[in-house]
Amino acid sequence: MAVAVYPRNLAEALRILEIQSPLVLAGGTDLMVKRAGTYPDECPVMYIGNLPELRQISRQGEELRVGAACTFTELLASPLLPDYLRVPLAQIASPAIRNAATIGGNLCNASPAADALPMLYALDAHFILVSAAGECRMPVRDFFLGPGKTMLAAGQLLAEIRIPIREGWRCIYRKVGMRRANSLSKLSFYALSDCAGGRLQDIRIAFGAVAPTVVRSREAEMKILSGLPVEEIILMYNGLIKPIDDARSSSRYRREACIRLLKQYLQS
Amino acid sequence: MKPITEAANRLDFEDKITGAARYCADIRMEGMLFAKTLRATVARAWIRAIHIPPLPSGMAVIDWRDIPGKNAVPIVTDDQPFLAENCVNYVGEPILLAVGPDRAETASFIRQIVVEYEERKPILTLEEAMGRDGDFISGNQPWFASYGYDKGDLEGAMRRAARCVADTFTTGYQEQAYLEPQGMVASFEDGVITVRGSMQCPYYIVDALKNALGWETDRIRVIQLPTGGGFGGKEEYPSIPAVHAALAAIKTGKPVQLVFDRKEDILCTTKRHPSQITIKSYLDAEGNILARDIDVAADGGAYAGLSSVVLQRMIYSIGGVYRVENLRIHGRVYATNKAVSGAFRGFGGPQAFFAMETHMEHIARQTGMDSVQLRQRHFLRQEDSTSTGGHLRSPVPLHEMTDLALRLSDYYRKREQPNTDSGKLRGIGCSVFFHGCGFTGSGEQDLIRPRVRLRKDVDGIVHVLASSAEIGQGAMTTLSKIVARTLSIPLSQVRYEYPDTKVCPDSGPTVASRSVLVVGKLLLQAGLEMKKRWSEKAFETEARFTYPKGFSWDKENHQGDAYLEYSWGANVVEVELDPVTCDYKIKGVWAVYDAGTPIDKKIVAGQVEGGMAQGLGYGGMENLEYADGKPVQVSFTDYILPTSLDLPPVTFRLVDNESVLGPYGARGLGELTLVGAAPALAAAIENATGRPVNRLPLTPEYLLEVMNGG
Ligand SMILES: Cc1cc2nc3c(=O)[nH]c(=O)nc-3n(C[C@H](O)[C@H](O)[C@H](O)COP(=O)(O)OP(=O)(O)OC[C@H]3O[C@@H](n4cnc5c(N)ncnc54)[C@H](O)[C@@H]3O)c2cc1C
Repeated sequence: MAVAVYPRNLAEALRILEIQSPLVLAGGTDLMVKRAGTYPDECPVMYIGNLPELRQISRQGEELRVGAACTFTELLASPLLPDYLRVPLAQIASPAIRNAATIGGNLCNASPAADALPMLYALDAHFILVSAAGECRMPVRDFFLGPGKTMLAAGQLLAEIRIPIREGWRCIYRKVGMRRANSLSKLSFYALSDCAGGRLQDIRIAFGAVAPTVVRSREAEMKILSGLPVEEIILMYNGLIKPIDDARSSSRYRREACIRLLKQYLQS
Repeated sequence: MKPITEAANRLDFEDKITGAARYCADIRMEGMLFAKTLRATVARAWIRAIHIPPLPSGMAVIDWRDIPGKNAVPIVTDDQPFLAENCVNYVGEPILLAVGPDRAETASFIRQIVVEYEERKPILTLEEAMGRDGDFISGNQPWFASYGYDKGDLEGAMRRAARCVADTFTTGYQEQAYLEPQGMVASFEDGVITVRGSMQCPYYIVDALKNALGWETDRIRVIQLPTGGGFGGKEEYPSIPAVHAALAAIKTGKPVQLVFDRKEDILCTTKRHPSQITIKSYLDAEGNILARDIDVAADGGAYAGLSSVVLQRMIYSIGGVYRVENLRIHGRVYATNKAVSGAFRGFGGPQAFFAMETHMEHIARQTGMDSVQLRQRHFLRQEDSTSTGGHLRSPVPLHEMTDLALRLSDYYRKREQPNTDSGKLRGIGCSVFFHGCGFTGSGEQDLIRPRVRLRKDVDGIVHVLASSAEIGQGAMTTLSKIVARTLSIPLSQVRYEYPDTKVCPDSGPTVASRSVLVVGKLLLQAGLEMKKRWSEKAFETEARFTYPKGFSWDKENHQGDAYLEYSWGANVVEVELDPVTCDYKIKGVWAVYDAGTPIDKKIVAGQVEGGMAQGLGYGGMENLEYADGKPVQVSFTDYILPTSLDLPPVTFRLVDNESVLGPYGARGLGELTLVGAAPALAAAIENATGRPVNRLPLTPEYLLEVMNGG
C-alpha cells in the first residue's frame, strides 16, 4: 500500500519532494488509469491538488498566470480566460474528468495528444518550474522532449503557466477524437489569427498528436504572412508532420486530415 | 389490473442502486485465495518446457494434470482444452493458474514463470485461413463448419437474368465490453463444488464442471451472482474460468476467486465473428430480383466454440426480409490463431443484415431505383416461405413498419435534399431486418428441453424457479410480471432469486432472445396450473417445452422453420459528415419494431436504447484489430464505445402484432434492437458521401479512403 502525503503549502511540498521523491498526484486522471505495477508500491504519493500557491488565476499586465493545479472546470469558469483558451479546454474529456483534471497534470503527463498543449505552443507560453533551490522560467517549446518526456527535473514542480494575452486573436480548434466525449485526440489543429483592420496581422498554427511534440513553425507562419501560395505552405507542414500508426488511428489518416484541415483554414 | 405493458419497478434495481449488490469481485470468504492465469504469449506453438520457480508457502499451481475428467470445454465439439497441454493456439490461451493469499504476489509469481515455446506458423487472418492447404489448426481442413442450402433453381434464373449486381463486404470484431469483467468464486465443501459468478448460463457451467471433474450433478452447484452485463460474452466463455476456479478450490481446499482485469478480458475472451460476405443478385429487366448466390465466411478463432451455430444464424439471416425464389447460400467458419469468436447479441445477424441491406442499396444505386421501393417490392409477407422453406404463419408488417419509420424521420425530404449548410454533408439511410427468436430450428426441443417450476409457500409467496439470468436486461422483472399476471397476484408476491442450480431446473441458457418467448411461456403454463390449484397451501407446478404442432426442421438439409418466431424491425439513421476529416455525427435515429406485446414498456425502451448504441458502435467506432496475433485495442482508452453524446435520443415505436406462441403475445426483442443499426448508418453515410461502402466499422480512416476513391 502506498503512503499518501498532503503538504499544506508549496514550501512544504518542495521539501517533501526533495527528501522523499514521492509520486506527484494532482487530479489523478492520468495516474489512476496507469496499470498496476507502473510505479513501485513503496513510492509515497504526494497530493498537490490543494496547494493554494498552485491554484491562482490572475492577470498581470498582458500576461495571464494560471496555477498548475487549477482544474479545467475552474479555468473554464474564470472570467479572466479569453475565448481562444476556453475553446480547446472545453473539448477535453467530460464534466466529471474536467472537475478533477488539472492543467499542470495535462502538461507534465506530456502526451502528444494533450489538448492544452497546442494552444500554449501557439501563444508562446512560459512555464514556471519551482524546486527547493528556487524557480526558473522556461518556454513551452523547450519543456517538452517527447511522449511522456519533459525537462522537469527531480525535485521540481510545475507551478504556473504564463500566457501572453492579446486582443484580436480569433481561434479555431479542431479536435479529431474517436467520439464526442472522453476521448483522446487522434490529431488536433489549433490556429490563431489577428485580422485587426481587415488585414492579416499575425497567424499561429499548431498541430497536436502528429509528432512526438506539438508541431509549430514560426518560419512557416511568417511565410503565410508574406503571402506564399497555399500549396507551398502545405508542403512545408507536410514535412514537419510525423504521425505514427497506433491503436487510435493511422499515420496516413492523421497526415491527410491535418493537411486537409490546414488547407481549409488557409483558404477561408 | 394495470395492463402488463405498464412499467414496473425492477426487482434488481434497489440492490444495484444502493450498492448493496455484491458482484464477484466484492466477495470475500474465510481463507479465500486469489487466482491468476498464465496465458500464452504466442499465437501458435508447441510448449517445450515450463519453468516454475519454487512455490512460496501458501501458494499452489494448477495445470492440466489437475483435471480429473476430460480436458475439453463441452460446447459443440470437444476441441478446446480448459488448460493447454502441449500446444497453444492463440495469444491469451490459459496454460496454468497460480493461487495464493495475496493477489499482487500471485500475479508477480505468474510473471516469473517462463514458458519455452517452439513456435509454429500461425494463421492470423481469414484470407490466410481460406488460402491454407495444410498444417491446419483443426482436423483436415481450414474450417470448423461448412454448410450450404438451395432454394428454387439458381442456374435457371441466372439464364433469365438481365443483369447481376455483386458485392463483397467485410466486418470486423466487436468486443462485448460488459462493465463487469469475467469473474468466478469457487468453494469446495463436503465433497460438493460450488461456483458462483458472473454468467448468463448456469447450466452450461454445470456441464463444463461435469466434463472436467467427471462428477455427477449432485456434487456440482452453480449460482449466479449479480452480473454486470453479458451481451453473449457470458454465454459460453464463463465455463472456462468457472472450471479454473473449481480446480483450484478442489486442489487447495480453500475458496478461490478468479477475476479478470480489463486487458486480460479483452485479450482472451470471445468476441463477435469478423466476416466476409459475397452476394450476387440476378435481376430481370424490370429490376425484380430473380435469384441470389451468397457466400459467407466467418473468422472463428482458435477453437470451434459456438461458431457452427453462429454460422447457421448467419446463413438463415442472410436472405434478409426479402422474397427471392431462387437462392444458393453457402457458408464456412474458418479457424485462425486468435481468441475464440463466440456469442454476441445478434449472433451472426448483424454481419448478415449489414451485408444484405447495404447490397440492396448498391443494387438500387446501380439500377437507378429508389432503394426503399426496391426493398418494398420484395418484402416477405404472411404465408410466404422463408429462405429455408419455413412457413411465415403470422402477419409480417414490414410495409407498415417501414412507412412509419420513414414518416417519423421525414426520410424522403431529407434523402432527396441533403442539407449541406456549413460545408457538412448530411445523409439519411434505412434498414429493414428481422431476428429469429429462440434456438435455431428444433434446438429448443432437441438440445435444451427447457423446464421451469413455480413454488407456492404457505404465506402465499410464489417463487419462480428458472435458470434465466438477470444480466441487466430485466429478465427477473419481466418473467415475474408474467407469473404475477397469470396468477392475478401483485408483483410483490412473486420472488425471483439469482438462479441456483441446486433449486432451479434447467430452463435453458439466457441467450437467443428466448427468455420471454420460451421461458416466459413455460412460466405462464406453470402459472395456469398453479392457478387451478391455488387453494392448496404449499405446492409446486412444472412446465416443460413441447415443440409446437405444425413446425418442422431438417437440420441436415437446412430445411423448414429455422425459428419458432420472428421479430421485425425498420431503422432510420441520419448523419452529418465533415468532408475534411470524414468524421461524422449521428443526428437522428428512428426505429420501429415488432416484438409483439411489450411485457414492460420501460425495459423495452432500455433494450432499444442500449441495442441501438451497441449497434451503432459496431457500425462506427468500435474498432478492434489484431496485429501479430494480438488484439491492439485492449483498454477502454483505445477500444471506443459510444457515450450519451454520441447517440441522439432514439425515437421509436412498437407495432401491435401479438405473437401466437409467446406469453401475452410477446416475442424476443433483446437482439433485434442491435441488428439494424449498422446497415442504416452505412446507408446514411452512402447518402451523405454519394459513394458506396463495403466494410465495418465505418471509421473516419476508412471513409477517407472511400472519399479518395480507394
Ligand atoms: C476518461 C478520460 C478522458 C480524458 N480525455 C482527455 C482529453 O480529452 N484531452 C486531454 O488532453 N486529456 C484527456 N485525459 C487525460 C487527463 O485527464 C488529462 O491529461 C489531465 O489534464 C491530467 O491532469 P491530472 O491533474 O489528472 O494529472 P495527474 O494524473 O494527477 O498527473 C499526471 C502526471 O503529471 C504529474 N504532475 C501533475 N501535476 C504536476 C505538477 N504541478 N508538477 C509536476 N508534475 C505534475 C504527475 O506526477 C503525473 O505524472 C482524459 C483522461 C481520462 C481518464
